[in-house]
Amino acid sequence: MGRAIVITSGKGGVGKTTTTANLGTALAQLGYTVVLVDADIGLRNLDVVMGLENRIVYHVVDAIRGKCPVQKALIKDRRLENLWLLPASQTDDKDAVTPDDMRSLVFELKINYDFVLIDCPAGIEQGFKNAIAGADEAIVVATPEVSSIRDADRVVGLLAAADVPARLVVNRISPQLVKRGDMLSQSDVIEILALEMLGAIPLDDQVIATTNKGVPAVLEGKSLAAKEFVRIARVLAGQEVEEKSSVGFFTRIGRALGLTASPA
Amino acid sequence: MWQGIKSLFGGKPSREVAKGRLHLVLAHDRTGLDGGRLQEMRNEIAAVLAKYVPIDAEAVEIQIETRARATQLTVSSAIQPRNA
Repeated sequence: MGRAIVITSGKGGVGKTTTTANLGTALAQLGYTVVLVDADIGLRNLDVVMGLENRIVYHVVDAIRGKCPVQKALIKDRRLENLWLLPASQTDDKDAVTPDDMRSLVFELKINYDFVLIDCPAGIEQGFKNAIAGADEAIVVATPEVSSIRDADRVVGLLAAADVPARLVVNRISPQLVKRGDMLSQSDVIEILALEMLGAIPLDDQVIATTNKGVPAVLEGKSLAAKEFVRIARVLAGQEVEEKSSVGFFTRIGRALGLTASPA
Repeated sequence: MWQGIKSLFGGKPSREVAKGRLHLVLAHDRTGLDGGRLQEMRNEIAAVLAKYVPIDAEAVEIQIETRARATQLTVSSAIQPRNA
């Protein structure tokens, strides 16, 4: 039985789809079977980020309505043997599916695949409720900005209420700006959200360039962001212990120096 | 260096400002209390306090703040001397 992980954030434009595409691709590179599910019905984008937009025949709503078997709606990624995409419908509304529909769809996928990654739409309404319905765990993506962290905090509360354990990915962090005192650091974000952290993706031009081409950054390998995505995928798969777990580097130093309180 | 120059002019680094703002905003979000409700609560608490101790009801301060996932409500008021 596989694991279903929803990638969510509350706020739009913080990198949910990019994170879904890259973590999914990285997990497939590690040898796991992976399905990426685009739950953003009406505003699908995971297909273009993956570069698979020209191969869509059926979509998630077709599969749920029984217009085709689920297997038939899956698009196989030709670059990797064990990676599939279940695209969203572009013409339906969020209320075309229910949380129960999603729960049974995701359950069916989990039988045949190691990882089911669900790309959640922005917002906390119907689309969000659908996307988290079948999830065993969640990855909350936040950028180091007040608006993104505020929305992430709302989502963390909603996930807790739905009993979905969540971990954090901080996206687009710029070490230079942090050093200059003009950006929240990853440990600031952890301290505020009080979530376990999976990793921090550096702001990286390469991600923009590869996304333009419809290639997940991890397939082109070399960039700093790609390396961090691969590391996070290893952590997710349990192949690597969390290097920067809930306790940040600075907190550890602080503790060592007696500046920060140790946990009880 | 840059931070040093900024603090010379009395400016906090924007990172610290962002942190401070988030602690306050999240406290309000998590409790579901907006500014108006909070003031209403302040006035009621001030009225209760005034029943027992001499205070300046106008000077009662109320604040909610959050650290990690814990939210704290603080009400503070100076008590006036008895024979004032």
